[in-house]
Amino acid sequence: MIRITDVRKRFGKLTAVDGVSFVAQDGAITGLLGPNGAGKTTTLRVLYAVMKPDSGQVHVDDVDAVAAPQRAQSRLGVLPDGFGLYPRLTAREHLDYFGTLQGVDAKRLAMRTEELIDLLDMRAIADRRTGGFSHGERTKVALARALVHDPQNILLDEPTNGLDVMSTRAVRSIVRRLRDQGRCVLFSSHVMQEVSALCDSIVVIASGRVVAQGSPGELRRQTGLDSLEDAFVALAGLDRGDHEEAR
Amino acid sequence: MSTLRQALVVCRKELKDSLRDRRALWSIIFSVVIGPVLIGFMMNRLADRQREAESVQIPIVGMHRAPALVDWLNQQSGVRVVEGPDDAERAVREQREAVVVVVPDDFAERFRASRPAPLQVVADSSRNDVRPSVQRVQLLLQQYSAEIGSLRLIMRGVSPAAMRPLAIEQIEVSTAQQRAAQILTFIPMFIMVAGFVGGMQIATDSTAGERERGSLEPLLVNPAPRVAFVAGKWMAATLAALVSVCMTTLLCAQLTRLLRLEEMDIRLQIGPEHVGPILLAVGPLCLLTAALQAAVATLARSFKEAQTYMGVLILAPMLPGVMSSLYPMGNALWMYALPMLGPYMLLTDILGGRPADPGAFLASAATCLFATVVLIRITTGLFRSEQIIFGR
Repeated sequence: MIRITDVRKRFGKLTAVDGVSFVAQDGAITGLLGPNGAGKTTTLRVLYAVMKPDSGQVHVDDVDAVAAPQRAQSRLGVLPDGFGLYPRLTAREHLDYFGTLQGVDAKRLAMRTEELIDLLDMRAIADRRTGGFSHGERTKVALARALVHDPQNILLDEPTNGLDVMSTRAVRSIVRRLRDQGRCVLFSSHVMQEVSALCDSIVVIASGRVVAQGSPGELRRQTGLDSLEDAFVALAGLDRGDHEEAR
Repeated sequence: MSTLRQALVVCRKELKDSLRDRRALWSIIFSVVIGPVLIGFMMNRLADRQREAESVQIPIVGMHRAPALVDWLNQQSGVRVVEGPDDAERAVREQREAVVVVVPDDFAERFRASRPAPLQVVADSSRNDVRPSVQRVQLLLQQYSAEIGSLRLIMRGVSPAAMRPLAIEQIEVSTAQQRAAQILTFIPMFIMVAGFVGGMQIATDSTAGERERGSLEPLLVNPAPRVAFVAGKWMAATLAALVSVCMTTLLCAQLTRLLRLEEMDIRLQIGPEHVGPILLAVGPLCLLTAALQAAVATLARSFKEAQTYMGVLILAPMLPGVMSSLYPMGNALWMYALPMLGPYMLLTDILGGRPADPGAFLASAATCLFATVVLIRITTGLFRSEQIIFGR
């Protein structure tokens, strides 16, 4: 479970995150929905403890991520924005490197690696260097790397960005499977259909603030609009034309 | 998992990653090998010329016409007279012979009559490489001529001194040995530069390169203190630097053995038994340069910028070598405590065959270690800065 309470983060004069609060429950897929520059990535970075918030609290399974970032990080599996793979290492070596750093013991790591290679259908590419991988293949490696230590909480920053239909489906099915295992999945996206098809709970974020949250049905009711896309546009204030481009 | 073990995991990965970077690997090998090869080439030329000039083979056409001359020549050290080729000029023109001496038919007759007896020295003055040999032959013939002249004067009751109004003596200050020793003073510099270049690739690629590839952020999501990442990368760079130092040292050792420097009476020696002391002298410096490279590369805005900085930093290990060839330096203990100068002075001590003072080693190592710790702390601080991690 992830709980964010009134988190603020400024970069110079720019307020990227301005008092964001929400809870992502175990056994549920929570979607962080917002236009580009709404503050999704910054929120996630604060959450996985590579950025310190100016104020506010972050809890991962009741571990204070601001005070004890490393304890929180070992409970998190993270797919950051831009995968950041090592082109000269193979897919398997990526899992090995991150798994060892996470403190997974060798025997368990070998088992877990095989599991993930099967789960993500990576058998054919497992021992190839990632340098020449397609976007879909890179996503798989980055996702496997995020899951290698079997984390309870999973953060995915726009995982389906730029993926083809088949890869998108594969990612979705894995996300659902993780949810069904009782894990907490937090998923950011700017794509409406994505979120509505997948998420149990949606947090709409715009200009660094949470403008609405609830199930897809609740959001539709809240705005009185039938289509979730219309609801999103209304909630994010995109129809007013005064949407500020924020980081 | 302890911080040290995490650092070792990072170190292992960086080493593996860089070993697969073919282009970087070749550039390291090239820069490690180029110094010793250059020295070897220069030394070899020098030694060859020296040997050529000292031991000369003189082909003489018509040896039977001048048996006394042949005997005299054969008595001179390093000289061997052989039968000359049929066509002397052609042999020299085609570079089959460096120099040929021709004794004409009327030599014996004119010699007996105490008239100037003709001798021809066939040589190609456009060839630089045989000039010492030709000069040697000419000098020998002049000496012979002078000796015979003196004997003739004595027979006629005239002092040979009357023929020598001047006694010119040439004093050559630049001996071949000195020139060779000069070339060898570059060895300490090459060893230090090898240490610098060896760690450079890993130090930049694992910091500035890692950030540019976008892999720094996912790496930092792993639950390890920042110092573990910095230390791991630094260890990998240090290890690569030490390997480069070993390679260059062994190469230089092999080289000096091949050149047989002791024959040239050169004191600067380097053998397998010197590898230990050399590592002891340069090891702490490798820790320092790797830490310095990592700090500077982390501070750089891009990989390209980091490489530019490395190009400037490489002057640091070269500086003591250049300085010492311009200004003679003493060897006070405090000088060993200076970061780049200390290891350089230790190296010249070791290679010069002087007994190495433990105090000097300690002074040099202590400074390097202190600077290393400071630099690693700085880099760790940079790794905590969001501005650095996410770029500016």
